[in-house]
Amino acid sequence: MSAGGARERGAQAGWVVVLERELRDLWVGGRGLVLCFAFSVLVSAIAYLAATNEALNFLEQREALNLVVQVGMIVGALLALLAAADAISGERERGTLESLLVTPVSRRQLAGAKLLAALSLWLAAYAILVPYGWFLARSVGSVGTALVASFVIGTLLATVFASLGLLVSLFASSNRVSLSVALLALFALFAPTQLPGGARQGWFADVLLHVNPATAAERFVNRVLISGSSWSEEIGWLVSPLLAAALLGAAALLLASRMRLGGGGAG
Amino acid sequence: MRRLRAFATALLAAAAALPASAVAATDAGSGLSATVDRAQISTQLGRGFAFHSTITNAGPQTARGLVAHLSVLSVREEPYVDPEDWSPQRVVFLDPIPAGGSRSLRWQMTAVNAGTFGVYVTVLRKDAGEAPTPNTPTIDLRVTERRVLNSGGILPLALAIPALLGALTIALRLRRRA
Repeated sequence: MSAGGARERGAQAGWVVVLERELRDLWVGGRGLVLCFAFSVLVSAIAYLAATNEALNFLEQREALNLVVQVGMIVGALLALLAAADAISGERERGTLESLLVTPVSRRQLAGAKLLAALSLWLAAYAILVPYGWFLARSVGSVGTALVASFVIGTLLATVFASLGLLVSLFASSNRVSLSVALLALFALFAPTQLPGGARQGWFADVLLHVNPATAAERFVNRVLISGSSWSEEIGWLVSPLLAAALLGAAALLLASRMRLGGGGAG
Repeated sequence: MRRLRAFATALLAAAAALPASAVAATDAGSGLSATVDRAQISTQLGRGFAFHSTITNAGPQTARGLVAHLSVLSVREEPYVDPEDWSPQRVVFLDPIPAGGSRSLRWQMTAVNAGTFGVYVTVLRKDAGEAPTPNTPTIDLRVTERRVLNSGGILPLALAIPALLGALTIALRLRRRA
């Protein structure tokens, strides 16, 4: 076996070891379960309020499904962002980053493992969301569409926000700064989804809605679940979430090599 | 006099009992008439229903450029009606109807509000300046609410999932302490 092959295997084992440790910390340590419990309480409350109208209405059932799916995706992405924003700056603040940096694992692999661990929170949130989605979607005959759309779009959004959180965490000197900046970015991107319909008209608004991955994802899910449009008709809305996930994920991994013990960039 | 009043009452009652198609709206000028196959529809909130309208050309010439438009309105102040919610297709551009011919249209609707509504079809011409066109008689639509205590039983699910996760969290904490 060549030295290069052995090194590659060793390096591969390195990120797997970090990922295992991160997953154990998150799930066996109990933090992940507490977050999932809070997530399930929130989704339960929204699903119950949305589903128990006095008057059963076909249109409102689609809207109820859309509401629960969108809240599930956004909060799932928020959980991934919180875990990622804590990933490096948290270690830095607790004084454990130094011992991590001296291990024979490259900084890029370290960041990759932490990103995957953060995304495990979204996967758990999706698993919790599935029964609610199935329950609400079966009466309007769109179980498959709702579950597949929420998985694809939610995974893209979680990747976008977890990568963003990790990027900020790489260079933030404290956890407080990292969480504040990452949350501000999340709210700024989701704020346009709350604009009234009239403010979203015109070519400029249309460009902004397409460019912003959060609004594009929201619009895609709206069209597919409420209007009953096909994926091929609305595929244009998927471009910016896909690009943002790929670019921010790549940026977080590439810039991880500039990670420093005291925060800030290389220099 | 009493006999005359009784006859008039009976005549009015008979007219009221007639199906809507028998009281078609005809425009004498153009020879066009429009009818619907139902006088009244009773349904429940969320249910789909359909009716047919027939546009007949009794005039001497082919009727061209006709557009049929489905309208729904609340005959009470509440609720507000958004016709787009009630029917996905509310406009039909008609092919020319030859003299003596007719065209039947099927209108598919969903009851999205409870209450009393009027539903009718208007026939228009593409060129507004031409001879006047008719409306169908108004269908009396009654939509009753469908009350549910617990929509499809989501409550057990909404309680069970957080309870399960809460129990798992507590069990994990107890195990770690032990």
